[in-house]
Amino acid sequence: MPNTVITNFERKESAFLVSGHRSLTEQELVYSNDWFILLRWLAGLGATAAAIAVYLFPKIGLPALPIFVIGLCVLTYNLLFFLLARRLNTSIRNPETYQRLAFAQMILDWIAITLLIQFSGGIVSPLILFFVFHIVIASIFFTRKVSLLLTILAIMLFTGIVILEYFSILPHYPISTLSKFDIYTDSLYIAIILVFFVSTMIIVTYLVTSISGRLRDREAEVIKLSEDLKISSARLQSLNDSAQVINSTLELTQVMNRLVDNTTRVMGVHACSIRLLDESSNVLKLVASYGLSQEYLNKGPIIVDNSLMVQEALDGKIINIPDVVAQSEYLQYPDWAVKEGISSILTVPLVGKNRTLGIIHAYSEEINHFTTDDEAFLSAIAAQGSIAIENALAYQTIETLDATKAAFIRVFTHELRSPVSVTRSLLQTILAGYVGQVTDQQKDILERATRRIDFLRKLIDDLLDLANGRSPRPSKEVSHIDLHEILERVVDRFRLPAQEKGISLTYQTDPIKENRIVIATVEGLDRIFNNLVSNAIKYTPQGGNVDLSLNHTANEVNIKIEDTGIGIPEDAIPHLFEEFFRAPNAREVEREGTGLGLSIVRETLNHYRGQIAVQSQPGAGSFFTVTLPLAKN
Amino acid sequence: MTQKQILIVDDDPDQRLTIRLPLKAAGYSVHEAINYDDAIQTVKKLKPDLIILDVMMDSATAGFQLALLMHSPDPESEFKEFKDTPIIMLTAIHSTTSLRFAPDENYLPVEDFLEKPVDTEILLSTVRKYLDG
Repeated sequence: MPNTVITNFERKESAFLVSGHRSLTEQELVYSNDWFILLRWLAGLGATAAAIAVYLFPKIGLPALPIFVIGLCVLTYNLLFFLLARRLNTSIRNPETYQRLAFAQMILDWIAITLLIQFSGGIVSPLILFFVFHIVIASIFFTRKVSLLLTILAIMLFTGIVILEYFSILPHYPISTLSKFDIYTDSLYIAIILVFFVSTMIIVTYLVTSISGRLRDREAEVIKLSEDLKISSARLQSLNDSAQVINSTLELTQVMNRLVDNTTRVMGVHACSIRLLDESSNVLKLVASYGLSQEYLNKGPIIVDNSLMVQEALDGKIINIPDVVAQSEYLQYPDWAVKEGISSILTVPLVGKNRTLGIIHAYSEEINHFTTDDEAFLSAIAAQGSIAIENALAYQTIETLDATKAAFIRVFTHELRSPVSVTRSLLQTILAGYVGQVTDQQKDILERATRRIDFLRKLIDDLLDLANGRSPRPSKEVSHIDLHEILERVVDRFRLPAQEKGISLTYQTDPIKENRIVIATVEGLDRIFNNLVSNAIKYTPQGGNVDLSLNHTANEVNIKIEDTGIGIPEDAIPHLFEEFFRAPNAREVEREGTGLGLSIVRETLNHYRGQIAVQSQPGAGSFFTVTLPLAKN
Repeated sequence: MTQKQILIVDDDPDQRLTIRLPLKAAGYSVHEAINYDDAIQTVKKLKPDLIILDVMMDSATAGFQLALLMHSPDPESEFKEFKDTPIIMLTAIHSTTSLRFAPDENYLPVEDFLEKPVDTEILLSTVRKYLDG
C-alpha cells in the first residue's frame, strides 16, 4: 500500500512545495541505488584482486583467468549502470525506473556470482555466502514477492551448478585444501549443503523483507507526517496571517479580500468566496471572492429559500458537497457551478455573537476533494472571519453615529447662532441708549446679560468647530499650505492682547519654505493654532513668555508652543483633550470656558494625520508640540 | 442737505431693528425690505444711497444673488443705475474663518462685510465711510 499513500500526498504536495523538489521516497531510492553501485565497485575489484592472488599462489589451485574476466565484466557493467544512474538522477524521477534498474543489476550480479562460485569450487565455494548480501539488497528495492522470485532464481542457479558438476557436465575447480576428497560428488554432502543453502536463503528473504517492509511502512508514515506537517504549518501560518489582518484593519472589504485570497492558496483549491446575509435575512450578498469568474459572480442573487446548502449552513452546519452533479438538489445554481468547473463545495457558516452573519465557500475542481481536515481549517478561518466582520460592522455603526452626531450638532448650533447674535445686538442697542436713558443698575444687568450671551456664542462656535473637526471632509478641500503664513497671522492676531497683558510673544520659523508645507485646510490650521496660542496667553500671568517655533525632521514638521503659564496638574494631563474637561487651575483663571478648545485641536489634527503632545510643570509652564507630516513626502 | 436713504434687507425683524435704531439716531433715513422680491421692488422705488444686505434670507444665497443683480456689469441691466450703489453684506461666518471673506471684486460684488452680531460702532463707521467719506 505505500505506493498509493505516496501518490496521494504527492498530489497535495504540488500545492505547497516548489516544483523540482524531490519527495523523500524518491531520495531514498536514489540513495539505495547509488549505494548498490558503490558496493559493486568493491565486489568487482575484490574479484580481480582474488584472481591476481590465485595467479600468484598457484597452490590454491583455482583458474586465475576466468575469475579475472568475471571481475572485469562486473566492473564494466557497473560503469554502465553508474552512468545510467547519473543520467536518471538529473532527468526522470520515477520510482519504477529505479526498480527496473535494480532488477537488471540484480540478474547480472546473480549470474556473476554463480560463475564465480563455479570457478571457486562449486558446492564447496566460500562465495555462496555472497548470495545473502544480494537478498538483503533485493529486499530494499522490491516487494516480498519479487524478492522471493529472485531468491528462487539464485537457488536454481546454484543448484544447477552443483548438479552439473556432480554429473561432470561442468568441470570442477577444486580449492586445493577444501576439495581433497572429491566431496563435490558426495550426494549426502550435496544434499545437506543444498538444504541449508535453500533454507538460509528463504529465511533471510523472509526476515529482511519483513524488516524492510516494516521500515518502508514507517518511512511512508514519516513522509506522510512530514508532508502533513508542512500542510499544517502552512495553514497555521495562514490563520496567523488572517488574525493579523483582522487586527490591523477595521475596513471590512479589505479583511474579507485577504481572507478569501489566503484561504484559496493555502487550501490549494479553485476558489473561495464570502457572502453575508442582507437585512432581509433571505438574500446573501457577495462581499469577497477569489478565483471565480465574473460571469459566475453575476449569475444572480443567492436566495436562502432556494438553496438547501445555504439553508443548512445558516443553521450552523458544515456542508460538504463532494459531487456537485450528483447532489445538484442542494444548490440554487448547479448548472453555473458545473460551467465554472466546480465539482465539490465546502460551506461553513460565519457565526456571530448573536446571529449567523453569512457563509464562506471553498470550491474545488475535483470531486470529493474536501476532507475533515479541510472542514476544520475552513471552520477556523470562518471563526476568525466572523470576529472581523462583527468588529468592522460595529466600527461602521460607530462611524455613522459619529457623523450623524456631528451633522446634528452642526445644524443645531447653526440654528442657535442667529437668535443668540441678534439678542446680543438688541441688548447693545439698549446699552447704547438708542431707546432711552439707561440707569447704572440697568446698565450693569445688561452688561452681565451680554457676557452670558458672549459665552453662549463661544460655546456655539466651539461646538461647530468640533463638529467640523469630526465630520469626514472630502480630500479635495485640503491643499498644500505654508504653515508659516498661518502662524504669522495667528501671532499677529494675538500681538495686541499679549502686549496688553505684558506678555512677550515670539515666533521663530524655518527659513526654507519646503520644510513648512503641509497638506491641510487654512481654516483647520487656523483653528488649531488660534486655540493653542489663545490658551497660552490666557493662562500665562503678566510678565511671562509665549514662544512659538517651527522646525522639521525628515518627514515631519514640529510646531512648539511654550509658555511660562500656570501649567497643567499631572492628573489633569490624561483628560486634557476630552470634551468639556477643564483643569481646576484653569477654572481659577477663567471661570467660564467651554472646555472644547483642545478637543477641537485634536479632532482637527486627526484630519491631517497630525499629532499633539504636551509636557507641563504646574506653576512653571506648558509645552505643546504639534506634529504634522510634511507635504513633500 | 437731504437725508441719505439706507435700505436694510433682512428677513429677521429683530436684526433689522438693531441696525435701524443706531442708523436713525445717526440721522439717516432707514427703510426695510423683508425678502428678495420685496428688496427688488423697494430698490426701484426708493433708489437708496446704500444697501445693507443679509447673506441668508429665503435661501442660503438670496443675498448674493441680489448683490450680483444690483452690481451687474451688463450695460443693459435693469438695475444699471444701482451699479455704484454701495452694498454692505451682513454675514454670520465664523470668527476664525472670517479672514476668507475679505471684499474682493472678483469674488463678490459688494463693498464691505459686517459680521453678526453687528457692533454698533463698526456699523456706523462703515456706513459713514461710504456715505459721508
